[in-house]
Parts: sequence; structure tokens; C-alpha cells
Amino acid sequence: MSDSHHEESFWRKYIFSTDHKVIGIQYGVTALLFLFFGFSLMMVMRWQLAFPDTAVPFVGGLIKWLADLNGFASDGNLPADLYNAFGAMHGTIMIFLGVVPLVVGAFGNYLVPLQIGAVDMAFPKLNMSSYWVYFIGGVIMFASFFLPGGAANSGWTSYPPLSDIATTGQTYWLLGMVFLITSSLLGSINIIVTIVQLRAPGLTWMRLPFFIWSQFVTSFLLVLAFPPLEAAGIFQLMDRVFHTSFFLPTGLVVGGEILNVSGGGSPLLWQHLFWFLAHPEVYVLILPGMGIIAEILTNNTRKPIWGYKSLVYSSAFLGFMSFLVWAHHMFLTGMGQGMSVFFQTTTMIISVPSVIILSCFMLSLWGGSIRFNTPMLFALGWIPMFGIGGLTGLPLGLSTPDIHLHDTYYVIGHFHYVVAPGTIFAIFAGIYYWFPKITGKMLNETMGKIHFYTSFIFMNGIFWPMFIQGLAGVSRRLADGGTSYAHAQDVLNWNAVMSYSAWLLALAQIPFIINLILTLKKEREANPDPNPWKATTIEWTDTTSPPLGHGNFEKVPTAHRGPYEYSVPGEDSDFTPQSQN
Amino acid sequence: MSGKDFTEHILHYRNIFIYLLIGTALTVGASYMDFNVSNSIAGAVFVGLTIATVKGYLVAANFMHLNSEKKLIHWILLLTVFFLGLLLLIPLLWDINLISNY
Amino acid sequence: MEIPYNVELREDTGLYNSKLGIWLFLASEVMLFGGLFSAYILLRTGAPVWPPIGEHGSITHLLTETIPHATFNTVILILSSVTMVMAWMSLRMKDLGKFKLYLGTTIVCAIIFLVVKYFEYSHKIHEGFVPSHDTYMALYFTLTGLHGVHILGGIVVLAYFFGPGLKMWDVEPQRFTNRIEIVGLYWHFVDLVWIFLFPTLYLLN
Repeated sequence: MSDSHHEESFWRKYIFSTDHKVIGIQYGVTALLFLFFGFSLMMVMRWQLAFPDTAVPFVGGLIKWLADLNGFASDGNLPADLYNAFGAMHGTIMIFLGVVPLVVGAFGNYLVPLQIGAVDMAFPKLNMSSYWVYFIGGVIMFASFFLPGGAANSGWTSYPPLSDIATTGQTYWLLGMVFLITSSLLGSINIIVTIVQLRAPGLTWMRLPFFIWSQFVTSFLLVLAFPPLEAAGIFQLMDRVFHTSFFLPTGLVVGGEILNVSGGGSPLLWQHLFWFLAHPEVYVLILPGMGIIAEILTNNTRKPIWGYKSLVYSSAFLGFMSFLVWAHHMFLTGMGQGMSVFFQTTTMIISVPSVIILSCFMLSLWGGSIRFNTPMLFALGWIPMFGIGGLTGLPLGLSTPDIHLHDTYYVIGHFHYVVAPGTIFAIFAGIYYWFPKITGKMLNETMGKIHFYTSFIFMNGIFWPMFIQGLAGVSRRLADGGTSYAHAQDVLNWNAVMSYSAWLLALAQIPFIINLILTLKKEREANPDPNPWKATTIEWTDTTSPPLGHGNFEKVPTAHRGPYEYSVPGEDSDFTPQSQN
Repeated sequence: MSGKDFTEHILHYRNIFIYLLIGTALTVGASYMDFNVSNSIAGAVFVGLTIATVKGYLVAANFMHLNSEKKLIHWILLLTVFFLGLLLLIPLLWDINLISNY
Repeated sequence: MEIPYNVELREDTGLYNSKLGIWLFLASEVMLFGGLFSAYILLRTGAPVWPPIGEHGSITHLLTETIPHATFNTVILILSSVTMVMAWMSLRMKDLGKFKLYLGTTIVCAIIFLVVKYFEYSHKIHEGFVPSHDTYMALYFTLTGLHGVHILGGIVVLAYFFGPGLKMWDVEPQRFTNRIEIVGLYWHFVDLVWIFLFPTLYLLN
């Protein structure tokens, strides 16, 4: 890379690039497409929930075609088997192909080297391969829709014994997951090494922007929590391909006959290994979001973030504790009191750092001269949404109320508040905030605000009624939305409210998409302001917008102060860049 | 590194090699013995895994030169070993179930 | 611009980039094999007899026959670890001839290991002890199989440094020495895993 002036071919520059910025954008575009795809699956499912067994409008033909291909009967409606597959794939796609690649792959890749004043990630070739491994994993997942029997249909949690005896789609799911896990592992090792080894001179640990800290903790979670799921995935592959019995107990009856396997396995083994990953995974989704929100809040309140050190220690503690709570997903598996008490205690403990982080964010608003631009609106909207998501989790973490609430729509409402308005608002905030950095062009504010207010209303329209339904006892994963259950009758009318909200939420994304396209097509100003938000961190102050190609910086920056020195008394401007001497 | 240091290193590695061979012989030998702890093989498992741990330590400390590695690496591995312990405790959850099932 | 600390050490950590990278990778490998061992403990403690009795009876008699092979393999793998570390030492002494000798020995040892493994596998499968026979066989094939895949991957990387990768020695000797240290760390880890697999799968039944 010593001579950065030679012309690179199209392939090297845009497809197999080793530049962290290009890879970040590749991750971002791919993951946004998957996010949209996963959302589309849900829109079809919401039709089935609101109007069971009627033909789906607009895409009915497509559904019929897919159902025929999979071997299910359909008259343009969504058959139950296909509903199950859509449900399992909605979860998988949103988490493993949408949000994680966005917050870690896209934001992490693009911003980490820029914010710490590094020329690139520590291992650029590894970085490129982790994107392509992710891409292959995505292709495998997508391809599984067109198999006989359809895509994986045992839920995104893939609990055996059901998943062990499910159709071929499950094998594709496992193969796809092995690729996605490998990609995440490589990517997170890269991020940790970059943060530890490539920080600019003077950028000590306590001078790192909170976003970097969140990426650091997240990457550790990925490195240490993902491998047990990989182990579990290998076991399930063995069960499915070589007919072993890791997860199959002796004498399992399927379809009235005893299954012809050796037996001796344990279905609960999967649940333990799965949640050993999947609980830390929740923090993988939310921590980078918190990092994004911290950057935007402090920038738009024009004052230092309240309690920087508490934020850092809380996020580290959060990461650590997230390994000690996994079995609170399994209170109903016949676990004894001793273990229940242990896991509900750790669950209550883990809520403390989350509350500290949320409190720091709210206190940061106090006395600030707040600028209500689009990224800030999304950040402000994020605070109560994540708050609702977090607080509704407390009853689930206690084993007694969990007996009533387990596997109901209450759970769905709870975790969607955390990851849908929670993480996705943070992603939108981040896109509006860093778009001028990436392209040198500001997104349109009016369209951005329309996007925010409509999304905010409809997100709540989808997820708030889930609490009502869940408290009434409506189970998740019912293809008819509870129509055939007597206890669900009183709350069934909410199904249509949620469904209309979901479709309106899709319409609410149109201003966003138009905004992106129009702004991208617009001619860039001759010398775009590299720092339109008047921010202090290195990515805004020490390089152009968009940043230079390979190398990022004209000269390696040096940090002289903390990340959030806004409105420092005695300074000329209300922000003092980190690199200012 | 001087030639003298080099010879010292070679001798050191040779010694570790010999220790590992002795360890292997001991493990195999021990597996034929009957420790007779309340009619189970718990004794043999304990002895076998203790020897394996010692051998593992010898490899990690000397061949992977962890005995002279930087602090940061030690911290990362400490964290990993803690979570590894947790992972290996999963099977214990079943036994605790039985205790509290009365 | 060149990425810093590729070869030279960063002052505050005392490490070069790939050293930290490989240890993080090994940390994740520890958790991967940790998950496998955890399953082993669970299935074993849950079984009424170990190894379980299946369609073709119990594997116990076959296992007693295999102990000499497995012991031989253990010694071979420990030897390959020693030659690996010697290969790295030779590079630090700038003795390319010895490096090639030691690295070559490591590769040969690894291949011998896999050949022995192949005969072990085919013997068991021939007698009807396939992975689906019982949970012990399932664990046996999954754990040693995954370990074997690690050996195979190691052979590929080692062969690369024995062949085309060797060119780097002429241009950037320090960087090449680092690379050998890194692949060495991986190789010792594979050896370490086997040290635990050997008693758990072959001896303690």
C-alpha cells in the first residue's frame, strides 16, 4: 500500500476492496437490503395474523408460487408451514444478517479506524474476507427459501427435537449460521486488535469516544460467546446429516412411532449452548446502538456526556454480566429453584448497568442547548423506546411472572422494543449523522423529520398492543394469531391495529429511501464542510468528507484531550476538537 | 540472541519434551489402574485430567511461551478461562435440579 | 500508508498486531472446544453406562485395542510441537536450513497423525461403530473430527510457509519470523487440545 496513487481496477476498488470504508459500505448496503427483506416477510405474516387464511394482496401470486415450490397448498394465502418458515427466517435475517452486520460490520468498520486516527483496520485482507464470508452465509440463507419443504421453520432459536427432524431448510440454516459466525468472529478480532494496537498517539483508553468502547465490548462478546453456538450448530448438523443423537432423547415418538435413533441425547443441551450465545447477542445488538446514541446526544446538546467513566465501566460490566444470565430464557424447562434464584438474581443485577447508561443519557440532556435535527430526534426517540424495552424485561427475568408471560406476545413486545425501535432507531440516527461524513452531502432535514415522526408512531402501533395481547395470554408463533383460542378473543381486534401499523411503517420508510436516492444523486458542493455538526472527534476534525481513499489521514492525528469537550469555558468556539493542542 | 542462549533454549525444550512423554506414559499407565473410589471411575478421571492439565500447562507455558508473554494476553486468557469454566458448569445445572426437586 | 505495528512492537502493549489477533482467535477456539467438552460431560453424566451399549454392543473392547495407536499419535503430536518451536528458534538464529528441516518434520508428523487417524476411523466404521451408533461414538467422531480438521488446516498453512510463503524471508525476515511464531502458537494449541482429548475419549471409559 506504499504507493496509494496507482489506479486500481474496478474490482479491487469496489468489490474486493481492502479499504475499511468500502467494506463498511458493502456491509451497510447488504445489511440494509436484508433488513428490508426480513421486514417484508413480517408484513406478509401480519396479513395472515390480521385476516387469517385470506389471499395476500399484491404479492399473493408470489406467495402461491413459493408455496407450490415448497410443496404447500395455497390460494394466494399464507399457509401455516410457510408462516413458520417466514417467522424463523424473519428472526434470523433481522438479527444475524441485518442488525449485527449493520452495527458491527458497517458502523464498526467505517468508523472505528476513523475515530481512533488509524490508517485502516489492523488486518485489511481479513476484513475483506469477513465481508465475503458473511455474504456467502446470506446467500445460503436466502437460497433455503426455494428448497422443497421451505426454509428453516423451527423458529430462530431452532430448538430440537423439532429442528433435528425438520425439513432440509434447517440444514441450510445451520450451514449459513456457520458462515455468519465465522464472519463475525473474524470481524470482531479485527476490531479488537485495531482498537488496542492502532490508536493514534495521545488517544489513551479514557480519551476514547464511547462508540469505540461499545464496539470494543461488543467484539469481546462476539469472540467469546459465538463459539459455543458454533459447537451447538456442529452438533445439530451431525444430528441431521449423520443421524447422531446429541439432542434426541431415548424413545422419542414422532408421528406415533418411536424415532429410529440411538437416543441418549438431551434437547436442553441445545438450549443451554444456544442461549450462552444468544443472551450476550442481545448486548451485541444494543451496545453499539448505545455508542451511536452517545455520540449524537453529546454533539447536539453541545455539552460533555454526563458520566463518561460510568458509561465505560457500565458497558464493560454489562458485557461481563451478559455471560451469567443465559438460563433466564429457560425458567420453564424444569430447572430447579436453586438455579432459578441464581439466574433471576444475575438478571436483576444486569439491569443496573443498563439503567446507569440510560440515566447518563437523560442527565446529559439537562441544561443543554439542544439542536433538534433528525439524528438527534432519533436519538431522543431511542431513549424512551429502549427504556420501555428494558423495563418490560424485568417481569420476564423473575421466574414467577415468567410462568405466565413465557412464550406470549408480551415477550415479543419486550424484545422488539429493545431491538426494533431500540437498535434500529440508533441505526437510523447513525445513518443521518454520519451520512455527510461518508458522502460529503447532508440528507434533507424535512424528509428526515417526516421519517422520524411517522416511524416513531407506527413502531409503537406495532409493538405496544403486543403487551396487551401477551398479558391476556396469547402465545407467539400461532399462524392464526390466536383466532382459534377462546382466551384470545377479547384482544384479537389488536391484530389488525398492529398489522396496519406495520404496513404504514413500511410507507414511512419511503421518505427515507427517496431522501437517500436524491441526496446521492445531488452534485456535491465544491468544498463540503468536513465537520457540519461541529463535532469534536477525530473522524470529523482531521480528514475531509468523504475521507481520503487508502490511508484516511493526510498526517496521523494526535489526541490531546477527551472526546467530548463541548462548551469549554474560555474557548472561542463551543467545541474543542480532540486533536487541538 | 547468542549461540549460548540458543543451546540453553534447545536444552529447555528437550526437557519439556521428556516431561510430556513421561506425562503421557503416566496417563496411559494410570488408566489401567483401579483407584476404587466408591466403585466408580471418578478417581481415574481425576488423575487422568490432572495429568492432562499439567501437560497442557507445560505446552502453554513453554511452547506457547505464555510464561514470558505480555500482560494483555494474560488478561484476555484469564477472561476466557473464566467463561470456559462457566461453560463447563452447564452440566451441573441438571444435578442442582435434582437437589431442589424435593 | 503502511499499517503500523505489523512487524515492530507497539510500546504500551509490547505486541505486534497478529500476535494479539492469534491469541484472540485461540480464545474463541478455547470457547469452541469448551462447548464440545461441556456436551461431553453432560451426555456422559446423563448416560446409565459409558460408553453406551448400542446395536453392536459396547465399543469398550475396540477402545482397548486402539490405546497403543492413540498413544503413538499423542507422542507424534508432542514431537511435532517440539519441532515447531525449534523451527521458530532456528529462524531467530537466522539458520534457514535448520528451519526447513524442523518445519518439514512438523509437517511429516502431522501427516502421520492423520494417517493413523484414518486407520482408526475405518476400523471402527468397519465394525459398525458409526457416529449414529451411540452418543459416545457421536462425541468421538465429532470431537476428533473437528480436531482433525484443525490438523488439516494447520498442514495447509505450514506447507504454505514451507513452499511459496518462504519468499518473504528474503525481503522481510522479521515479519516472516513473526508469522512462524503465529502459526506455531496455533499448532501448539492443536496439540494442547489433543492432550485433553486423548484421556477423555480413549482412556477414561
